[in-house]
Formats: sequence, C-alpha cells, structure tokens
Amino acid sequence: MSALDDLSRIPPPRPPALSAALEAELAHLTPVATRRPLRQLALLIAISLVYGAGLIVMLTLRRDLHELPMGWLVWTGLAWLLGFVVPITLATVPRAGAVMPRWRLAGIASVVAALAMIGLGLVLHPAGEHSAVLGWDGVVHGYGCLASGLETAIVPVVIGTIFLRRTLPVGSRWVAAGLGAGGGSLGGLVLHLHCPVADGLHVGLVHGGVIAIAALLAAALVPRATDLR
Amino acid sequence: MQRYCDGEAGAFRELYALVAPRLLGYLLKMTRERALAEDLLQQTFLKVHRARAAYVRGADPVPWIYSIAHRTFIDETRRHRRAVVRVGEAEELPEVPAGLTGESDDRRDEVRGDPELVTAALDALAELPAQQREAVVLTKLDGKTVAEAAEIAGTTVGAMKVRAHRGYEALRKLLGRAQPRPAKPAGDAGAQGGGA
Repeated sequence: MSALDDLSRIPPPRPPALSAALEAELAHLTPVATRRPLRQLALLIAISLVYGAGLIVMLTLRRDLHELPMGWLVWTGLAWLLGFVVPITLATVPRAGAVMPRWRLAGIASVVAALAMIGLGLVLHPAGEHSAVLGWDGVVHGYGCLASGLETAIVPVVIGTIFLRRTLPVGSRWVAAGLGAGGGSLGGLVLHLHCPVADGLHVGLVHGGVIAIAALLAAALVPRATDLR
Repeated sequence: MQRYCDGEAGAFRELYALVAPRLLGYLLKMTRERALAEDLLQQTFLKVHRARAAYVRGADPVPWIYSIAHRTFIDETRRHRRAVVRVGEAEELPEVPAGLTGESDDRRDEVRGDPELVTAALDALAELPAQQREAVVLTKLDGKTVAEAAEIAGTTVGAMKVRAHRGYEALRKLLGRAQPRPAKPAGDAGAQGGGA
C-alpha cells in the first residue's frame, strides 16, 4: 500500500524538550541498584524452600510415608518441585537481553502446572496401610489441605511481588499467575509429604487444585502491586 | 541506560535523544494529536525514570520503554473514555485554531511526506480500533517484528498477527474507498444501472 509506505518513510518527529518534572528529577539523580533477576530467583527459591520445610516440620510428615512406593514419592515430589521452579523462573527472570520477565510463558506454565498436577493426582495415588481414603468427602472437606497449600503459596508470591513491585507495564496478570502457580506447587509439595489421604479425588482436586486457586488469586490481587503505572 | 542508572544525568539525555523521536512518532500515529502525544511521551519517560531500578543491566531498554508508552497510551484512552464532557447551556464549544487544510495546529506538523497520501493514510489509520491501529503502526510503520510488537502490546504473537492482518485489510478498504475511482466508459452505465 503506497500510502502506508509513504507514511513509514516520514522521518521521526522532533521531540519536545524535557518537561520541568523530568528536569527536576534529573537534578537530584542518584545511582540506583538495578534488578538482578537470577539473584532474586535464587533468594526467592531458597526462602520458599526453607519456609516449606519449616511447615512440614510443624505439620509433621505423613504417617503412611514408609509404606508408599519410593519411586512414586520421589518422582511426584520432583514434579511438584518442577511445578514450583519453572513458573517462578519464567515469572521473574527475563530472557537474555530483555528487561521484562517471560510473562506469556509464565502464564502458559501456570496453566500446564495446574492441569498436569490435577491429572497426575487423579491418576497416580498409591495407598499404604495407614493411608486414609475418604472418597468424595475428601474433596468436600478438603479445607485443611487447601488452607495449608495456600499458606505455603503466600511466601513465594509475596517475595516475587516485592521483587517485581512497579516494574511491569504489560503482562502483570500472567506474571502473577506464574507466581501463584509456583507457590501453589510448593504448597502441593508440602501436602505431598504431609497429607495421608490417598484417593485420587482428594490428591487430584484438592492438592492439584491448590495450584489453580493460588494462580487465580494471585492473578486477581498481585497486579495492583506489580503494575507500572 | 546503565550509565544513567549509575547516576549520570547526561546519559538520560542521550537515551531521550535516541528513543524519544521514534516513540513520539508511534504516539503521534496512535493519538493524532501532537500535544497529547508529547504529553504521553513525557509521562512515559517520567515512568521510565521512576522505574529505572527495574532495569536489568545489559538488556535492551527500547522494547520496555515502548511497553511503558503503550501502557501510558491505554491508560490515557481509558481515562479519556471515562471523562465526562460538559457543554454549557448555550452549547459553546472552544475554538480550535486551524490551518489552511482545516487541520488543527496540533495535527498540521505531522504531515511531511506526500501530503495527500499521508493524510489519507493517517485518516484511515485513525478510523481503526486502537488495537488494530497499534498493530499496524508497530509492524508496518515502525518496522517491529510481530514478536516484538506482541511483547510491547502485552499480547500473544498469534493475536498480534490477527490484529495486524485485520488492521491492514481494514486500512486497504478505507484507503481504496478514499481514492477517486477512474471514470467508467459511457456504455457501461446502462448495463450496471438496473434503471430506476
């Protein structure tokens, strides 16, 4: 389209001089410590894991732990850990050469983590002699697990929010969902090591559901703090 | 950007001189009002200044600054939509000084190329929905890739492709309608008329 070609060839306009407000700010310019995403990520993961470990100590380990298949315990634990690390990383660390975190991938990762852990819980849920099988009651009366999972999620979400405070002009809701899903996965990991309920409905819908609920809550609340306005 | 974050005011002026013209061009095409575009430009750089601690050393700040400009434009559009315009009982409207073309002073100095074509393109662009207009401005006029434009606008690559395509098609129709059609031969008139 020749009209558009003509328009694209117009030289950029001359910008105005800096406003008085900007000049005033520049007059008192001081050095600032810029964001270090990898350092922040390491700190966030370390504090969250210590907090999660503290919660497990407080809540005690599940009574049927020694009766469960070791492979399932380890691999599912690693899956929860992956569900924690991946969305949190994407929500806080930009790709090389960029300022903004990978919010789009963080959003996708939060959806994938929630669906994967709900599915995994529904399908794989071995039981031992001392495990509890509650059926639908385990879902309806699953507040305790939901509350513990969300309590665990609070710490990574709050730390991530502090690190990203007033930094995101776009994509803040997806970043928040990533933080929430990561926190929810950590909550799921704590429940994996604490809760002796071993039926698929409870493990899938309540433990896995913590990710979805934490992601949704974070997406609703966190952007107020992280939006760059 | 790094020197600026280290407290060198001159580095900010260099950054402004480098980025502001392109950014003003983008904002001007989005708003079509020089005064508003300049105001948004200043707001954008004020936000960049206040959020400079969010910068990651070694990163390219331009897409981030564009994103801030995009957000500032969106916020301004929303504020503008919410604003209640009161017209006095006598329905007096403020007089806006206009140039020979009928354009206000604000809009006159944006036309510098082939004036007719550029004005037609700008008018057509202004008729597009904001999202499509932005997609066309970023991908067709500012030379950004679809991925860069999506990053700036806070959307997915797929959505940006769709917006750019729809915007481009709408623009093609608008510009086609605006251009004078060649006169038809006299013999064709009866065949097409259908006779009233």
